Amino acid sequence: MSAQDSIGDENEKEPDFTWEVKANDRDYHRQFKKKAFLCWKGRKYSDNAIRTAKYNILTFLPLNLYEQFHRMANLYFLFVILLQTIPEIATLPWFALLLPLACLLTIRGVRDLVDDIARHRSDQTINGRPCEILLGKSFCKKRWRDIQVGDVVCLHKDDFVPADLLLLASSEPCSLCYVETADIDGETNLKFRQALSVTHKELVNTDKMAAFDGIVVCEEPSSRMHKFVGTLEWKGEKYSLDSEKMLLRGCRIRNTDICYGLVIYAGFDSKIMKNCGKIKLKRTKLDQLMNKLVIIIFVMLVVVSFCLAVAFGFLVVDLQRKHSYLAAFHSSSSPAREAFLTFWSFMILLSIIVPMSLYITFEFIYLVNSCFINWDLEMYYSPLDMPAKARSTSLNDQLGQIEYIFSDKTGTLTQNIMTFKKCCISGLTYGSDENSDESLQAVSLSWNKYADGKLVFYDPKLLIAIREDEDKVVREFWRLLALCHTVMVEEKDGQLVYQAASPDEEALVTAARNFGYVFLSRTQDTITTSELGVERTYQVLAMLDFNSVRKRMSVLLRDPEGTVRLYSKGADTVIFERLRPGCPNEHATEKALDTFAEETLRTLCLASKEVEEEFYQEWSQKYHKASVLLQNRAQALDAVYEDMEKDLNLLGATAIEDKLQDGVPDTIHLLKKGNIKVWVLTGDKQETAVNIGFACRLLSDDMEILEEKEIYGVLEAYWESNNNVRGVRDSGPKLQQQQSKMALVVTGDFLDKLLPRAGEAQSWTKKHSLLTRMGWHYRSQQIQEDLASWRERAFVDLASKCQAVICCRVTPKQKALIVQLVKKYQQVTTLAIGDGANDVNMIKTADIGVGISGQEGMQAVQCSDYALAQFAYLQRLLLVHGRWSYLRISKFLRYFFYKTFASMMVQIWFAFYSGFTAQPLYEGWFLAFYNIFYTAYPVLSMGLLEQDMSAKKCLEFPEFYSVGQKNQLFNYRVFFVALAHGTAVSLVNFYVALWAFDDTAGPGGICDYQSFAVTVATSAMLTVIAEIAMDIKFWTILSILAVSSSVVLYSFLSFLTQNFFIFRLAPTIFQFPHANQNALTEPYVLLVVLLAVVVNTMPSMAIRLLCHITAEPKPGVEISLSRHKSGSQHRRTQSPLPEGLDPPPL
Amino acid sequence: MKRNNCQGLPSRMPDNTAFQQQQLPACRPSLTARAVLPGFFATGVSFLGMGILLILSAKSVKEIEITYTDLCSNCSKLRENASNFYKECTCSIPFFIPEKMPGNVYMYYKLHNFYQNYRRYIISRNNRQLLGEDNTDVENCAPFQRASNDRPIAPCGAIANSMFNDTILLSYYPNSSTGINVPLLSSEITWWTDKHVKFQNPKSSNLSSAFAGTAKPPYWRKPVYQLDQENPENNGFLNNDFIVWMRVAALPTFKKLYRRIHRIQQFADGLPAGNYSLDISYNFPVTVFKGEKGVVLSTATWSGGKNFFLGVAYTATGAMTWLAAFSLMAVHLKLKKKKASFQC
Repeated sequence: MSAQDSIGDENEKEPDFTWEVKANDRDYHRQFKKKAFLCWKGRKYSDNAIRTAKYNILTFLPLNLYEQFHRMANLYFLFVILLQTIPEIATLPWFALLLPLACLLTIRGVRDLVDDIARHRSDQTINGRPCEILLGKSFCKKRWRDIQVGDVVCLHKDDFVPADLLLLASSEPCSLCYVETADIDGETNLKFRQALSVTHKELVNTDKMAAFDGIVVCEEPSSRMHKFVGTLEWKGEKYSLDSEKMLLRGCRIRNTDICYGLVIYAGFDSKIMKNCGKIKLKRTKLDQLMNKLVIIIFVMLVVVSFCLAVAFGFLVVDLQRKHSYLAAFHSSSSPAREAFLTFWSFMILLSIIVPMSLYITFEFIYLVNSCFINWDLEMYYSPLDMPAKARSTSLNDQLGQIEYIFSDKTGTLTQNIMTFKKCCISGLTYGSDENSDESLQAVSLSWNKYADGKLVFYDPKLLIAIREDEDKVVREFWRLLALCHTVMVEEKDGQLVYQAASPDEEALVTAARNFGYVFLSRTQDTITTSELGVERTYQVLAMLDFNSVRKRMSVLLRDPEGTVRLYSKGADTVIFERLRPGCPNEHATEKALDTFAEETLRTLCLASKEVEEEFYQEWSQKYHKASVLLQNRAQALDAVYEDMEKDLNLLGATAIEDKLQDGVPDTIHLLKKGNIKVWVLTGDKQETAVNIGFACRLLSDDMEILEEKEIYGVLEAYWESNNNVRGVRDSGPKLQQQQSKMALVVTGDFLDKLLPRAGEAQSWTKKHSLLTRMGWHYRSQQIQEDLASWRERAFVDLASKCQAVICCRVTPKQKALIVQLVKKYQQVTTLAIGDGANDVNMIKTADIGVGISGQEGMQAVQCSDYALAQFAYLQRLLLVHGRWSYLRISKFLRYFFYKTFASMMVQIWFAFYSGFTAQPLYEGWFLAFYNIFYTAYPVLSMGLLEQDMSAKKCLEFPEFYSVGQKNQLFNYRVFFVALAHGTAVSLVNFYVALWAFDDTAGPGGICDYQSFAVTVATSAMLTVIAEIAMDIKFWTILSILAVSSSVVLYSFLSFLTQNFFIFRLAPTIFQFPHANQNALTEPYVLLVVLLAVVVNTMPSMAIRLLCHITAEPKPGVEISLSRHKSGSQHRRTQSPLPEGLDPPPL
Repeated sequence: MKRNNCQGLPSRMPDNTAFQQQQLPACRPSLTARAVLPGFFATGVSFLGMGILLILSAKSVKEIEITYTDLCSNCSKLRENASNFYKECTCSIPFFIPEKMPGNVYMYYKLHNFYQNYRRYIISRNNRQLLGEDNTDVENCAPFQRASNDRPIAPCGAIANSMFNDTILLSYYPNSSTGINVPLLSSEITWWTDKHVKFQNPKSSNLSSAFAGTAKPPYWRKPVYQLDQENPENNGFLNNDFIVWMRVAALPTFKKLYRRIHRIQQFADGLPAGNYSLDISYNFPVTVFKGEKGVVLSTATWSGGKNFFLGVAYTATGAMTWLAAFSLMAVHLKLKKKKASFQC
């Protein structure tokens, strides 16, 4: 069942009613101003032109740069570059940092520009759409951008609604107007809107429209799509307005020739625009870790710079006094000042250790990995033409770390295609299992001209009961199904086509139709049906809507005979609560409901009552009063409804089948093998949920299913064991004894009792007894908080020990609460998957929200991070894409930090030999190109293409998913190992060159600074390339290109920056003419480079090999080996299961 | 190929390309013992061989080093006082070469504890001026940009100013009475690229007019166009000693090539064994900052001079690689056996 409003909305405080709209009076609105910026005042009522583009030609550069420098890293480098302009501390040539930063800013700027041009284009087309506005006395063809608040516009069939309009009149009877809201919530069924009858009757022609001067008073623009409360004041009367009279921007007019509307909210004030761009940024664990690491690196730099500067301070005294050739540099300053300047010099010099291009490469990898998800054919659902969609492009790696999945049931595990299976009328059950008795023939429904032939029903008894038409209860039962709903009907090719917001309703109305109670048409006040061939028209007195708190809907009708009747349908608990005492068949129906639930059918209870005329009149006044309220209208209405829905007569119950989606049991099995816990959170009955649990292999027969009583017991025991050692986080011994194969089944009510949230004064019966037993003397409030958090912890501890958890009868809020609890107490990565509006809270709360784009509209998808068409695709999303993304990002991060340290730490060691003067070792151009040309592409190719196992193997052996869950591939340890490795490599590179050059002699004088720089730089670059060549486990042609491009670019760009022509042009910028060429043609230098690279590479390779041969053999490798060896002599390796298949030890 | 679905809209089905489906043909090299260990052994062998070769070739190099800071202590003392700037001081150091130094023999001067890689020192030069383009361009040369009379210094900057200015002559004594000056060449002691492109004299009819209007660096005795009185070609920015000095050293202890032995007459095959002496005109002060100066005579091979580091490092790396390879193999075999026994 689709709950249109999420629950969260209802608790928000009621807004003020300060939005006044006067029809056909543009000047009236112009006088209102609002404060925009300081003393600037803007118009209160915006016009209908929208500008989603951020920049124009003039503002692009400053605004974009301003935005980019909001990032800490960019700001830091800008700061360093500014420092560099001070000549005394400018250690690096100006281009060494400016060039890479400019490159990064340009890349990002171009991306923003492209996005913005696209936005400009779409703004242009949207603002330029034609429409007709009433100007003066007639409608003129204008564009959307010309519309202003208070205008009356005319819309035709299939037009898009240009602004939020109040429907005034339409060409249809009663001024009905049909709209399609696909662009707003993705729901494709038609909805009707209806004008006030006063405007419908009065505004019959253009002149009358032009004379219309009503004033609408309503709330300020808000983002709440389905809320609108206001009044229309016209000719001294007040009329109540609600969202049923509104046409929202973005809807499409259907089946209505012409309609007229008054513009209430235009442009950015419209509901859909208010809903745009409020995406809460979720960040992944790795992302946060990375930011912390960058800060750690920065702190390290400051410390190192400080130490080196202090060392310099001591040295400088010596230099001033003794080194005559240097004394002139320090003639006029104190050592402290010198040291201070040197500190900043080192800050500039060592800033190259902060990985500048990390962020942009990181983002690019995320983007492409998201594209891979969108491109995956295996996750494309052809029946709906629906590929998977990564709506968030920054969470991919977390897909590889999921430990808990919270799944909705209906529409997620099941198809949400409902078929009417069984019913229970006055205690008798009709309908039988098609599987149990195949000899049964489907009943023939050919006698009914309205039957659509889609319903297959096997129990002839029901048909007989209906056709006999003797039992009043049977008649009322079917009548209710034909009357109590919100389905819309359309005629297509002489056939009735039903359009329902929820598939349940459609199934019920269709069933009624096939059994002869046909819903024919609906106007605002009437419903017409054909009951066994007799056409009847009922007058609708009130519709008591469904929502997820009420869990029921009712309709109040006056039947053709003049009696007022109430028909209600809803969840069994709410209906049973409201039955007339002593209602017959209550017990039998309850029993039938249990049987239905066991067969995993969805049940609804039906009830009706006759309402006395007097009571109705009285109630009707209350109802009217409540419905024109501006404040707290919803609550008042609920109370009024409650008055009416009591003392009901039970008619019976319906049972609808909802089939499991394809591949659900396998997927759940696979995910469980991947050490992922799957919890099902559903609004269904406990029995239904448990049976679905069995059907999808979440529960198995050998599991001990814990229910409420046992849970209390276990928690009590847990309490006792933790009694003495308060604050101990471990679970008690008793809990651990029981952890073999348990499953937990709880209901929403139980959760409410167990976990009362802070502030809610709910007494827990156990609390007092426990308290007295404990004999604590704390202040009670504190104890209460302690208790609450303790209970939460105990419950989560217990639940996480279980193999499966099913929570039934939970509200959307509870769903979110459960997710929150698990996140809070287990510190795990969670994923929530759902398809309906009731899953939105949960999807937003979880680390990753997945929306199923299915039958229940798009609300879940629009709040989700990933959209899938089928639950079964989850296995591929997590086990393949998630796994790979995590692997890629982790390897990328490790390598990126390593490569930066390996090549740049040399600067620190060199300081010890250059008198602590922050002399850069490398050529400026090497620094400038290192991160953007020399080493960027191999690591990029690894981040995009790396695979440790093929997709097939990933799905075959889900056990290996646990590396991500345990953060094994990138964590502090890996980082510090990378740091140590990088440091070691830089030490080797530096000292090999140093000792080789120290005191050597040879033709050409190779021990000069430039040759030394070139030697160290070349060894560093080659070492780093060799490392990634070992790191890449998946060599495609692209990886080969990327790796070789590094070497080629190094040679080419060195040649470019070191040739004589360019030296002549700018001798101070290109200071290394032919240094590479001269040094790298010396055999001695080549030997030094070779030695450094080999000394660096060999240990790395040896450790890899050692890990490889000592590690548990990977199944992928093992199997491929055994397949290779499938010759005659190696038969024995072909055991059915390769060894080491067990999940790696925890 | 995009199919159209029933509504005539283009299908949203993703393209089936190898890249988009992440099915690019690829090879997955795995680091198996079988693949890696032979590489280890081969590397070990070649490094051992190379190491031995390097050690042998370094051994074959004949090298003699004479540190003369202490041997010429009177001159050292004299230079500690800047007021003795224009006083000549010469010093003669006899020494003995026990073995013949065959082939090309090179003479280096060696400085110890001299920070040519000091940051402000290293940037204190002007490449444009040294290209001979503009004598007055003294940017970056602080604090040696202009002389007191505001004339631009040529060559400007701290590097040029502190140029090594000892002159070293080598004499051979075939017998105790008569000494022969060993002929020394100062050509081809620089990088070709430095001599021919990086350094150029300003264009003019003669050198002294080319440098008219400039001042000499304060520590210099003679202007730049009079550095070599004997060979007029070897003057100005193209002076070989100057070019060698301007190519700054990476480390505070360094050798710079000073002269080559001209292989004529009795020196055609190198330096014969016997008595020699160095005649040093001692100008360059080093004792103030606890520096040392020395002269190194050395033959050269393809692998540089008498530095054993590289040879030893290669040998050690080769040996370590072998050791690692053997231990890895041992581990591998042991585990393999274990696995095999498991499977049986």
